[in-house]
Amino acid sequence: MTAHPAPRARSGEARYAYATVLPVVALIALFTIYPIGSAVVTSLREVVLYRPESTPFVGLKNYAAVIRSEYFASAWRHTLTFAAGAVPLATVAGFAIAHLLNARTRTASLLNVAILLPWAIPTVISGIIWAWIFNSSYGAFNGALYSLGLVDSYVPWLSRPTTALLSVLFAHVWKEVPLTSILYLAALQAIPEELFDAARADGAGALAALRHVTVPLLIPTTLIIVVYETMIAIVTFDLLYVMTGGGPAGATSLISYYMYNSMFTSFNFGHGAALAVLLAASLVIFIVLYMRLLRSEEIYRE
Amino acid sequence: MTRRAWARGAGTLLGLVVACYILAPFGWVALSSIQPEKELFRVPPQWIPRVVTTDNYRFIFTGRFPAGYQETGLLRGRISEKARDALPALRNSTIVAVTVALLNLVLGTMAAYTFARIRFRGAGALYMFILASRLLPPMAVAIPYYLIVSRLGLLDRYSALVLIHAAFTLPFTVWFLTLYFRRVPPDIEEAALVDGATRLQALLRIVAPVAAPAVAATAAFAFMFSYNDFPFALFVTSTIRSQTIPVIVSVTAVNPDVSFGVVAVTVVLTMIPPVLFAMIFRNYITRGLIAVTTTR
Repeated sequence: MTAHPAPRARSGEARYAYATVLPVVALIALFTIYPIGSAVVTSLREVVLYRPESTPFVGLKNYAAVIRSEYFASAWRHTLTFAAGAVPLATVAGFAIAHLLNARTRTASLLNVAILLPWAIPTVISGIIWAWIFNSSYGAFNGALYSLGLVDSYVPWLSRPTTALLSVLFAHVWKEVPLTSILYLAALQAIPEELFDAARADGAGALAALRHVTVPLLIPTTLIIVVYETMIAIVTFDLLYVMTGGGPAGATSLISYYMYNSMFTSFNFGHGAALAVLLAASLVIFIVLYMRLLRSEEIYRE
Repeated sequence: MTRRAWARGAGTLLGLVVACYILAPFGWVALSSIQPEKELFRVPPQWIPRVVTTDNYRFIFTGRFPAGYQETGLLRGRISEKARDALPALRNSTIVAVTVALLNLVLGTMAAYTFARIRFRGAGALYMFILASRLLPPMAVAIPYYLIVSRLGLLDRYSALVLIHAAFTLPFTVWFLTLYFRRVPPDIEEAALVDGATRLQALLRIVAPVAAPAVAATAAFAFMFSYNDFPFALFVTSTIRSQTIPVIVSVTAVNPDVSFGVVAVTVVLTMIPPVLFAMIFRNYITRGLIAVTTTR
């Protein structure tokens, strides 16, 4: 795999190697392994704000409490509903937009510049913008519907459970489409032109070529995108903070937001940590799957 | 042929629709920032502004209230005052993000070069550790950060954010540059090493200039991650001493009584640096995004 195998380290070189690598490893470990350990320890104790001195060991009590809480079930239900909408939408939209980006037109070059922008700005900023667009007293979305005569009066999109979740979903897809379309574009461009020529020679039209050449060859990319986007959808937090605050009536309180609430609104650190451990554990499944889909790990093994 | 022309036309039309979908929110905020508050509440909205003003910008930069603002009440005035923290917050964000980018530039480049060229005991395991940590979703570990940072006594300090952001950007930098350095032929360096140059000298004088665009791109990535981060900054900062711009704009914007025009100004100001970066480093960011999620 590697074109230039590294020469064996001379004695002084090993010291240089550790001096350059260990600071980085230590810093990363401090904020990855240590917090996971710390979360596990905290989750087994009763840690509440008003009693910081006394943190008795309570075993799995925090876990039992959060799992039995009705909010936990509803937070997961909302999270899965959200992911079930966000993942297919971001994937399909990315696939379609990649084709537009791939066209050799002036619109395509404009689009190639514009497409990065939603990705480039802070997520909370896109959330603020979309919250304004869906605002019930001066939102552009209401304004457009009203101007077109589709609604008689402005609709409070963010104050109704279903439309609130849909509004967040809309903003989320806007934010994720740059990534998915760029990934699909790269995959599209990697398909050898001869395959399309051959399909055409066999009398296949554009749709048949899409079905028999493009779609099958993009399956690996699609799998990566689906798994990655599922992870991203599950940990959605920023948009909820600025768009809905988890409301109305908890309808947009996805699992990350619920965790944030138990930590910083209820100040029950034990519960928050137990939720963090449970969230991390459920993500491990996706991380393992994702790692398997990527072959990059092979690169270092010689 | 006509069918082809039709398809082309449809493609252009769809492209314009998508471009609108992507760009319209930016345009709407920009237009909102240059209109008086009263105009923004018009039903239906004025799609092309009738009245253009720089009052909202003047408020952020000088603190002078926009015309017609006082009449809406004292409370409202006090609340929007928070929006004026945007300038110090932009400074905080810039300081933190530049420091994070520099750390990536120095520590990340050196570590990557080592992984690419030197064989040493444990190299494989350490590299795998860095690779795997790249996938850790911030939200899953962010909650304990508050406790860790407060134990370190770093709550509400730049250094807390710098350390966290560096920890989350270095895995990508190290991994991306390791792959890049491996593609640089080692012949010239080896000649220099035989002539008595140290590894560091070889890196600085021979490899770094060749890899400069890739190194710059990872630094740009690190800058953008740090500048855009919200949850970490929310958890470990508490006052304007260290609060970054996404935090200030968010806490201001979620207040239902805040002046929309004034917050629009802070949103526009916040977007300028990342949008410029995205334009300048477009090709590298695209390539980096592809590499970071797929890698073939």
